[in-house]
Amino acid sequence: MKRGLLVLLLAGITAAAWTAVGSQAGTKHASGGSSVTIANVAGMSWTCNFNPFNSTVQFLAFGPMYEELVFVNALKSGAATPWLASKYTWSNHAKTLTFTIRKGVRWSDGKPLTAADVLFTFQLLKKHKALDLQAVWAVLKSVSKKGSNQVAFTFKSAAAPYFYYVAGQTPIVPKHIWAKIPNPVKYTDKNPVGSGPYTVGNCNPQRIIYSKNSHYWQKGKPKIDTVVYPAYTDNSPANLDLATGQDQWGGQYISNIKTSYTGKSKDNHYWFPPIANVSIFINLKNPILKNVAVRRAMAYAINRPHVAKLGESGYEPAGNQTGIVSPTFKSWENKKLAKQITYNPKKAKQILTKAGFKLKNGVFQTKSGQPLSFTMINISGYDDWIASASIVQDELKAIGIKITTSNISSNAYDDDTFNGHFQLAYDGNEAGGPSPYYEMRQELYSKNSAPIGKQASSNWERYYNKNVDKLIESYAKTTSLAKQHSIVNQLQAAMVRDIPVIPITEGVDFYEYNTKSITGWVNPKNPYAKPSPYEVPDWGVVLTHLRPKG
Amino acid sequence: MRFVLRRLGFFVVTLWAAITLNFFIPRLMPGNPAEAMMARYHGRINPQALHALEIAFGVKAHQSLISEYFDYLGNVFRGRFGISLTFFPDPVMHDVLQALPWTLVLVGVTTVLAFFLGTLIGLVGAWRRGGLMDSAMPPIFVITSAFPYFWIAGIAIWLFSLKLGWLPHGGGYDPIDTPAWTWHFAHDAFVHSILPALTILVTAIGGWILTMRNNTISVLTEDYIRMARAKGLSPQRIMWTYAGRNAILPNLTGFAMSLGFVVAGAILVEYVFNYPGVGYMFLSSVTNEDYALMQGLFLLIVVAVLTAILAADVATAFLDPRTRDVR
Repeated sequence: MKRGLLVLLLAGITAAAWTAVGSQAGTKHASGGSSVTIANVAGMSWTCNFNPFNSTVQFLAFGPMYEELVFVNALKSGAATPWLASKYTWSNHAKTLTFTIRKGVRWSDGKPLTAADVLFTFQLLKKHKALDLQAVWAVLKSVSKKGSNQVAFTFKSAAAPYFYYVAGQTPIVPKHIWAKIPNPVKYTDKNPVGSGPYTVGNCNPQRIIYSKNSHYWQKGKPKIDTVVYPAYTDNSPANLDLATGQDQWGGQYISNIKTSYTGKSKDNHYWFPPIANVSIFINLKNPILKNVAVRRAMAYAINRPHVAKLGESGYEPAGNQTGIVSPTFKSWENKKLAKQITYNPKKAKQILTKAGFKLKNGVFQTKSGQPLSFTMINISGYDDWIASASIVQDELKAIGIKITTSNISSNAYDDDTFNGHFQLAYDGNEAGGPSPYYEMRQELYSKNSAPIGKQASSNWERYYNKNVDKLIESYAKTTSLAKQHSIVNQLQAAMVRDIPVIPITEGVDFYEYNTKSITGWVNPKNPYAKPSPYEVPDWGVVLTHLRPKG
Repeated sequence: MRFVLRRLGFFVVTLWAAITLNFFIPRLMPGNPAEAMMARYHGRINPQALHALEIAFGVKAHQSLISEYFDYLGNVFRGRFGISLTFFPDPVMHDVLQALPWTLVLVGVTTVLAFFLGTLIGLVGAWRRGGLMDSAMPPIFVITSAFPYFWIAGIAIWLFSLKLGWLPHGGGYDPIDTPAWTWHFAHDAFVHSILPALTILVTAIGGWILTMRNNTISVLTEDYIRMARAKGLSPQRIMWTYAGRNAILPNLTGFAMSLGFVVAGAILVEYVFNYPGVGYMFLSSVTNEDYALMQGLFLLIVVAVLTAILAADVATAFLDPRTRDVR
C-alpha cells in the first residue's frame, strides 16, 4: 500500500500535467483584427498607472496616448514635425516661442483640444515641480495664451535648445480632466483621456492592451487595431518571444543576435542606431589625472574599433575623441579632428616620456615616484561594458598605465560618480538629445558639475572651462543651423584638446522588428523616429506609421 | 503553558530586533533614494525639480535618523509602510498584496508538496533499505537538488516549451487573459505554474528525502521498534506510527521555517519564469533603493518566519512531551 500510495501520487501529478499539456499545445492569441506585441524588459509588472508625468510609467503613456506639440526626430538632427501644434515661430532673439495649436484635434472622450489645454499643462508643471520632469520651468519665465489658438512661451534667457524639451518632450493633458485632480503628483491615471492614436483597452499587472482611439486627429490612423505590451522582468522569455515571432517589436539586447534572432526567420530584422557615447570619465580633480598628457596618452592607447568588436559584439560602433556620435550625427562631425586621435600606442608612450614620466617595471611613474595606477569603476551586471573595460585595461597596461577594474552595484556607482569619489569610470549614462550639443552640454557645462563631495548632475569628470561654458551658452541663443554647427565644431576642438572624457563606443537604441504581417517599421533608410518601444514620444509616432501587410 | 509563554516572550523580543535591523540595514547601503532617482533621469533634472520629487516621494533627506526611526516604528504598528518608489504612487501594501497570492500558491503548494513527497520517499526508502525505491529515488533527487536552480529551469524551458512546445515558458497567465475567478483563467494560471512548480519540486525535494531517510534509519534501531515487532504489530503500523512519527520531529521545525520563507517568494524562479510574485519585487526594491517596499517585504518575511517557528515550537511541545520538561 505504501508504494501504491506513492505511485498514485506521482501518477496523479503527471496526469494533471499531461492533461494541461494537451490543451495548451498550440495556444494562439485569439484576436480578430491586426495587432502588434512588444517585447521590452521594463523590470516590473504594470501598475496600470498612466500618469504621463510619473517618471516610472511615463513611457507607457507618452506617445501612444498623450502627445507632444512638435515631434523632434533625434535621429535626423532634430528635424521637427508639427504635431499638436500646426506651426511654431521663434522671436525676440530665441527668447519667445509661439505655437499655433492645430484645429480639429479631439481628446479621446470627444472634447476638442485647445490652446487652453496647452496653457493649463504648462501651468500645472509650474505649480507642481515634481511633474516637471524636463525642468522646463528652470528656463521658462512665463506662458500665455495669444488670440484664440496660440500659446506664447517666454524664456528667462535665449533658449533655443529647450525647444526639444518644451515642444518635443512635454505631454499635453486635457484641462477638463486634470483641473479636477487634487494631487496630480500622486494621481494614478487609470483611464487616460489623451489625444494620441490609442487608449487603454484593458490593463492588468502582466500586460496592457491598447486599443484604437476612434477620435484620433490623423484621419485613417492608426492602422493596427490593438497593441499588446506584456510585462517582462527577464531578458530570456522576452527574447524567446521575439525569436518565435510571437512578439513583433523589441527593444532588447539579444546576445548572438544573428543566430538567435535573425537566423530564426527571414522576417526578423534589427537595427541599433547610436544615440550617445559610452566613455571613460576621468576625475579631473585627481592630482595625476589632471595632467592632460596622461589623458592624451590614454586616448591614443585605446583601440576603439577593437573594443567595439570584441567587447560590444559589434552592436555598439566605435566612438571617436570629438564625441560626435556617427552615423547619427555625421553631418556635425569635424572629420579632421575625428581622425586626429587614433590608436597609436607608440605615440602614447612618447607623450608620457615627454611629459616627464619614467618607465619603471613596466609602469610609468611621476617625478615623485607615484606610479600611474588607477581604479576604473564599472556597473556590475552591464556585462558588455565590463568586457570592454577589461580590453581597455589590457591596452593601457601595454603603454605602462596600470588599471584596476572594480565592478560595483549601480547604486554604489552612481554614488561615486555623482559625488566625484572615483578615478576613472566607464559610463554611458548620458541621455543625449536631438543634436550632439545635448550630450556635450551634459558632459562639459560647468553648471552640471559640482565640487567633490557634492552631487553633480552629469558633468561627473568635473570639467571647468570658461570658454566652453560660453560656447555652450551661445548655442542657446541661436536658431541658425550654420552657427550651431560652428559652435559644435569648437566644442569638438575642446574635446580633442582637453580630453575631459574619452569616448570609447557609441551607446545604441536596441530595436528588433518582424515584417511578417506588419510593415511601416523604422529602418536605417527611413529613420523617422527613435525605434525602441520605450522612447517617448517616438514610439507613439511609430505606431501611427505601422500597418498590416497586404 | 509556561513553555508557550516563554516562547511568546522570545518571539516579541526577536520581532523588535528584526524590525529595528530592518530599518537600519537598508540605510547602510551605498547611495540613497534621491540619487537613485537622479540616475533614472540621466542627468537631465535640475536640483530644484529633484527636491520637489524628494518631497513627493517622501524622501526626507534632512531628517535625523533617530526621529525617522520612531516615525517608522509608529507606522509599522499601524500597518503603514509608506509609498513605494518603484511603483509610485501606490502604497507598499497595495503592491505586495497584489503579488503575494501568486507566490503563496506557487511556492506554498510546492513547499508543502516537496515536504510530503520527500518525507514519504525518505521514510519508505529507509524502511525498505536497499530496495528499488531506496536505491533509485534518493540519489536522483539529491543530484537534481545539487544543480543550480537556473540551470534546471533553463533545461526545462528548453525541453518542454521550446523543443516540445507543451508548456508556456513564462508568465503567470496568458497575456491575452484577464485575471478573474473563472474556470478558464484558473486553468490558464495552472498551466503556467506547472513548469515553475516542477522545477522547484525537483530541486527542493532532495533535502527532505535525505534527512527523513537518515532520521528513520536511526529511529529504526531504537528499542521501541524492536518491542513493536516483538509484539507482532503489522509492519504498516510500525512504519507509520512508530518510526515515521518519531523520525519526522526534527524535520518539523525545518518545515515550519521553509513555510515562513514562502512569503519571500523564490527570486530565481520568478526571475527565470517571469512570474508575477513578490520575489522579483524584492529584487527590484533593492536595486531601486526603495526603502519603503524593501522594509515592507522584509518585515513580512520576518513576521511569517517567526510566526511559523512559534507555531512549530508549540506543535512540537504538544507532539513530544520531552520538550516540555526543559527548564
